[in-house]
Amino acid sequence: MTPFELAEPASLKEAIALIDPDDPNVRPIAGGTALMLMMKAGVFRPRRLVSLRKLGTGFAHIAATRDGGLAIGALAPLSTLEYSAEVARHAPVIVRTMRRLSNTRVRNVATVGGALAHADPHMDLPPVLIALGATIKIVGPKGERAMPVEDLLTGYYETALARNELITGLHIPPQGAARAVYFKVTAGSADDWPALGVAAAIESGAGTVKSARIVLSAATVKAMRLESAESALIGGKPDDKTIAAVADAAVKEADVMADLRGSASYKRELLRVYVARAVRAAMQEVA
Amino acid sequence: MATLATGTQVGRSLPRIEAREKVTGRAEYTHIMQVAGMLHARIFRSTVAHGRIKAVDVNAARQLPGVFGVYTSEDVRKVIPDPYYGPAFHDQPILAIDKVHFVGEPVAVVLASDPHVAEQAVQLIVADYEELPAVFDEVEAAENKILVHAELKPAGTFADLKHLKGRKGTNIALDFRLRRGDVDKAFASAAHVFEHTFRTQKVLHLALEPFASIADYRDDGVTIHSSAQGPSFVRTEIARLLGWPENRVRVKVPYLGGGYGGKLYIKMEALAVALSMLARRPVKIALSMEEQFYTITKHPSTFRIKSGVDKDGRIVARKCEIWWNGGAYADIGPRVTQKSGFTAAGPYDIDNVSIDSYALYTNLTPAGALRGFGIPQLVWAYESHTDMIARALKRDALDFRKLNLLREGRPQATGTIVKDAAIEKVLDRIAERLAWKASFDRGQGTVRRGRGLAVALKAVISPTTSVAIVNISADGSTTLYCGTVDMGQGSDTAMAQMVGEVLNVPAETVRVVPRDTDVTPYDMGTLGSRSLFHMGHAVRLAAEDARAKIAALRREVGEAEGSNTPLADLFRKRYGMQAGNIVGTGTYKPDYIAPDSEGLTTNATPFWMVAGSGVEIEVDTETGQVRITRLVNVADVGRPINPRIVETQLSGASLMQIGFSMFEKMHIDGGQVTNASLADYKIPGIHDVPPIMENEVVDAYQSNGPFGAKGVGELATFGVSPAIANAIDDAIGVRLTELPLTAESVLRALRARDNRPLGDD
Repeated sequence: MTPFELAEPASLKEAIALIDPDDPNVRPIAGGTALMLMMKAGVFRPRRLVSLRKLGTGFAHIAATRDGGLAIGALAPLSTLEYSAEVARHAPVIVRTMRRLSNTRVRNVATVGGALAHADPHMDLPPVLIALGATIKIVGPKGERAMPVEDLLTGYYETALARNELITGLHIPPQGAARAVYFKVTAGSADDWPALGVAAAIESGAGTVKSARIVLSAATVKAMRLESAESALIGGKPDDKTIAAVADAAVKEADVMADLRGSASYKRELLRVYVARAVRAAMQEVA
Repeated sequence: MATLATGTQVGRSLPRIEAREKVTGRAEYTHIMQVAGMLHARIFRSTVAHGRIKAVDVNAARQLPGVFGVYTSEDVRKVIPDPYYGPAFHDQPILAIDKVHFVGEPVAVVLASDPHVAEQAVQLIVADYEELPAVFDEVEAAENKILVHAELKPAGTFADLKHLKGRKGTNIALDFRLRRGDVDKAFASAAHVFEHTFRTQKVLHLALEPFASIADYRDDGVTIHSSAQGPSFVRTEIARLLGWPENRVRVKVPYLGGGYGGKLYIKMEALAVALSMLARRPVKIALSMEEQFYTITKHPSTFRIKSGVDKDGRIVARKCEIWWNGGAYADIGPRVTQKSGFTAAGPYDIDNVSIDSYALYTNLTPAGALRGFGIPQLVWAYESHTDMIARALKRDALDFRKLNLLREGRPQATGTIVKDAAIEKVLDRIAERLAWKASFDRGQGTVRRGRGLAVALKAVISPTTSVAIVNISADGSTTLYCGTVDMGQGSDTAMAQMVGEVLNVPAETVRVVPRDTDVTPYDMGTLGSRSLFHMGHAVRLAAEDARAKIAALRREVGEAEGSNTPLADLFRKRYGMQAGNIVGTGTYKPDYIAPDSEGLTTNATPFWMVAGSGVEIEVDTETGQVRITRLVNVADVGRPINPRIVETQLSGASLMQIGFSMFEKMHIDGGQVTNASLADYKIPGIHDVPPIMENEVVDAYQSNGPFGAKGVGELATFGVSPAIANAIDDAIGVRLTELPLTAESVLRALRARDNRPLGDD
């Protein structure tokens, strides 16, 4: 690690101004759990880090919104979501996800905004937020814009953010009757990065599925919705035959990659099995 | 303050005497230690597995502001002309000379006051290699088509390696053979013959404190602070490299943040000394977590095992061929090869045994001892094999083992009589805890349940020597000097308890002096579960010597036999004031008879180590995932000195082995480790602990042990891997013969059996 400048701006405007959009060696840092590893490994050698820690608690709030949804500040540490009554009420799947998301030390410092902007496909929170239909608020030199989480992730460690844009917050819409689950499937230790992650949010009534969002992560270049699997489920009766068709559609649709944690053919089997399990589990949540 | 217990100190579950220091962050570790004026070293490592060094360009690195110096083997040879080290072979250069032999081998070093500057400078070094063909697989290495070294260079420390001196054209660093009876004849007449091959993967120790050494060289002596498991060996080896008497080399070892066999013998110490000689400043080398992958690992192995069984189910012959992948430098591999070879046929009474055990050089990170000295690799094979035979013969796995078990008073394969080895009791207790003979819920649907067990025998590394000193000060307080390294196993506490037992003082009042070769006497090393027995005896003898001298002092000052006059008063009577010392010494070396050319000896070991494990598991037949729902570890430790510490040693060893069994693996591509970090090489965490874990020591007494005790550190690693594989077979009828037992390998085997094989992409 070589010396670098650490800026600690007190306002969002100042923070954005400190980020040089033309210099990849200037980056914002929040919890730093991912960046510090990259710096230790020598794959990222910063010229300047713009710390977001002094931006204040205004960006770390968790509150119900008027539409019945939930707003979460980008600087909220993951552990505050883990123990938030609001989160437990609006999106209990997030609380359950936290238990096996890395470890206590990481959850205490890693932030919601960082978990999204880092865009490592192995992270647990993005697929869950995509399943919940969450949108993010982004602020840059030209002002503010909003974007669904699924549009934020564009590739392997790639996002739709300009280098000098910052995620300021997250909005999770009211979930109504929909119920969500997330399965983290590890090939190594229980706290390993997942070989495969599957999130599903399903709304059903009178024996038919009204809406479904099924998301795959870790095994593909980015967390992504499996739309053909969703269409195979929506409008039908979620019986064994349908669920098998949903799982088949998921396997057909996803471009699964091999890595240290498993071959592509094995991960396709995991995908088939866990899409079915996620659908069933979400349906059980509904019941 | 509560009154401290006197009387019986052995058998107390005394909390570790250093626990408070550690949990409050006050304990000293080399990795975080500072010495005034020290420079930090950062290592430039080879990127090729086998190659001739054409050029190393260090100019840009040297010119970076803040860099003190950049060094290669050319510089090292100016201060240490023959810079090769190692416990069994003098084959490892301090920095690569002419050739590199594995990816990650140290080639050059940058020194700077600021470690970040040194690190940056390392990036500026450029090396040019002429790549040579490399060999990575141990069985392939045995063909000697690609040679790792031109010539073998045994150290001369071990008599049985002398015949290898100067041998050329081979990768075999040691070939141990044992012949008992006539296996070929027995196979010919056996009712059944079974042959299987088992493999283990490359894994590593991963101590949470990575390797660290600080050397401070002066013309009249050198002081080395090191995270070493054997300070005496470090001193001997550095003295040899410098051509100095040992008393000019001082090795100080604080607590270790784990060792597991990785920090044995000599690792960073010689490099630190050479750099301090060149820089004329103290030099610290503290490796990163990632660099541990390029320092020392466990041996991958291939074990071909063949057994003949008669019509009654008795094993009449067993042939064992084992290839040990030792990596680029021998380290202690030849010892692993030979000593584990003694018991490669397992804890069974077999008349005809043939064992060939080969230590191989390959172009990988060197391999050494890892919590078991090769035994876990062997047990993995022979207890899987034994289970497969029982299954094939439709015999109960427990009954089949008991029919063939090696019993007290019978000769083991080497010919050494088995004594104080509770093999059957250990096996019985595992079976009783698992209710082996009762019906078992086998699960249903996609979750199938199974159970398995395994039992093992080990001969402790012998012969080895330990020396201890007990010093009683004039106020009556007691100090122990011994070289056993407390790397987390609780040895300081156990040794203090033994002193307390003999001298009838509370163990927590005994001061255990941190290891320092200027004051703590010789010890062979903290390895192979030997310390409690060997150093325990030395400590006992030293304390008994002190006790005898106290009695003599009592007589000398005219006290009646059995008087309870406090010690301080005796000193005052004798010396007229609070003055003087009583110094007790103890030296222990067990008897041993080296094996003959057939591998036979009537005294292979001073004590037998016995342990086993049983598991209950669930297999998800759709994903191959295995969940260990219950783990039972049972061991014969003789009489436990500190029952609570014994229990934590058993649980810790078994959890470590769960990692090696289920998922740990160094992925290697062309000699390059592709997952050399804790992000991609995972070790078990708290969520991997089985929901039910039971650890038991059987009621036993080691008749020649100190207070009836013997070692424990490695024991619970032995049976874990085969017990799990046996349970998988029990659950789903599929047999895995290669570690780790990943979910993918389980599913692949299951689907292959069902003629629905998974694809290859």
